[in-house]
Amino acid sequence: MRIVWSLVLLCFASVAQANLVIEITQGRDDAVPIAVVPFATQGEKVAEDIAAVVSADLHRSGLFEPIDRNDLLSRPSQGKDIIWRDFRVLKSEYLVIGRVEEKGGDEYKVAYELYDVQQGNQLLNESFTARENRFRDVAHTIADNIFEQLTGIPGAFNTKILYVTVNDGDKYPYQLQYADADGHRTKTILRSKEPIMSPSWSPDGRKVAYVSFEEDGLPKIFVHNLVTAERQVVSQSEGINGAPAWSPDGQQLALTLSKDGHAQIYTLDLRTNKLTRRTHTRSLETEARWMPDGQSLVFTSGRGGGPQIYQLDLRSGKAKRLTFNGPYNARPDITPDGRHLVYVHRKDGQYQIGVQDLKRNTFNVLTTSNLNESPSVAPNGTMVIYGSRQGGKGVLEAISIDGKVRVALPSEAGEVREPAWSPFL
Amino acid sequence: MRSIAMNRLMVAVAATAFLAACSSKPVEEDVVEEIDDITVTEPVEDTESTKPDYSHIPLTAEGFHNHPSHYDGTTNTRIIYFAFDRSEIPSAAFDTLRAHAKYLRSNNNAKVRLEGHTDERGTREYNVALAERRSKAVQQFLRVQGVSSAQLQTVSYGEEKPQAKGSDEMSWAKNRRVELNYTAGNP
Repeated sequence: MRIVWSLVLLCFASVAQANLVIEITQGRDDAVPIAVVPFATQGEKVAEDIAAVVSADLHRSGLFEPIDRNDLLSRPSQGKDIIWRDFRVLKSEYLVIGRVEEKGGDEYKVAYELYDVQQGNQLLNESFTARENRFRDVAHTIADNIFEQLTGIPGAFNTKILYVTVNDGDKYPYQLQYADADGHRTKTILRSKEPIMSPSWSPDGRKVAYVSFEEDGLPKIFVHNLVTAERQVVSQSEGINGAPAWSPDGQQLALTLSKDGHAQIYTLDLRTNKLTRRTHTRSLETEARWMPDGQSLVFTSGRGGGPQIYQLDLRSGKAKRLTFNGPYNARPDITPDGRHLVYVHRKDGQYQIGVQDLKRNTFNVLTTSNLNESPSVAPNGTMVIYGSRQGGKGVLEAISIDGKVRVALPSEAGEVREPAWSPFL
Repeated sequence: MRSIAMNRLMVAVAATAFLAACSSKPVEEDVVEEIDDITVTEPVEDTESTKPDYSHIPLTAEGFHNHPSHYDGTTNTRIIYFAFDRSEIPSAAFDTLRAHAKYLRSNNNAKVRLEGHTDERGTREYNVALAERRSKAVQQFLRVQGVSSAQLQTVSYGEEKPQAKGSDEMSWAKNRRVELNYTAGNP
């Protein structure tokens, strides 16, 4: 009996450990102070602290500096109870209050209001009906709406990330994980004895394509339905089957195959299974991403000697080189507006994440540590999540597209790599 | 010249005898014959003292791939190392690959999977493409030696399966490699 219990505890412990903890390692000097008052609860105490989740989301954006709740002088939950000077004295520019009420059954009403402290006027007033197990979703949606109201940019807090974990001691060392964008509520999508690589979201966020070397140790591209957990092999040709990337209309996959000799880029029509070769070179071509208009691909090519990023017009078949800074630029991702190209850039022998403004043709190196890789842009274009190394193991980090905000997502669960940020869900 | 050839033979004898002694699984028939053949030629104990001494050649990360101590000139050697960003087979590995070619030519049932790897630097999928060049270089070498393409398969793992975990030059040197993995007719 004791053995059974310790096993059960062990399972829970590993679930808890798998969550990523988010630390802001660099904020902005001009972050806006905001007070998020703990939501009033009626009757039984609810498990999830909605205000804490909202506050952490806003903080993680780097644009807001939530006021420590222990410093609050009053804790209103309704507009009529607000004492303005209590928040003006804390120099809080905005105020969020809210309450959770039982609705009968196991449903709750979650209501919140957003105020401008200086003006004393209400900016938002909304409510949601939800079961308790959906409170984190409600909290992320509240944070999204506040963020959009105050910045004009849609929030990306109520989104998901996929990433790969590697633990050599495990029976299944390679695992594909699915979690909230804040690293909570981790779910394992796939466990394997062989490597898992390159997860890529379908544009509707319901499916994921990835490379798995499962069973026979050979690479295969799978399409995995996250809703039904059904999956199918869409590519298993001889040689490389790699780097899947979903087209914006969800009908095609760009992928890398070496069946014709060496790594080249192809597109696969998922309705007809028609495969079209897109590059015809003697060099290595891989890591394709679709431009948001679906008319062209950006990808890594070795045609100039070392790897550089090119853009291929799918209609004309013509490619033009986009990167000229240094000898190594690879694995692009693109912001949803198609303006910023984010990629791995080698500088002084170290691998950094760089961002290139395709309109102004300016280039910035965002990171300073070494061995950074696999950048993935948030669906609102404000942040980039990427893989890095710290203390000899893979970790995830995120940085704002302007380089001003840096967030670490340390995990106690071994190697973490290859993050992929979901589209809006 | 003769002594080098003798050394190789004796290392082979030692290793084969060792494998035969350890193995609890049934051994393939042709391998058993080979052991019967060789064990009468030399006492196993002598092989220790006649192993070549390469200690005078410094083992640096830069020269790691071409260091003779990695390659015994027999099919017992299953890893070929590569220089940074290169896919040329090091000359020190030629005899070893010729021994694999010879074995494969005379054992048509034998199949080998050539598994290409890079170090951790650079992007993952580009490394998969680079590592495939290494496994194809080994494949090409064996084909030129007359090995049937039906006996050879290549797979590229890029940086996904490192042999050494560190982020230093020596670990990287150990990870830039092609492993010869017999999927049938293991010598």
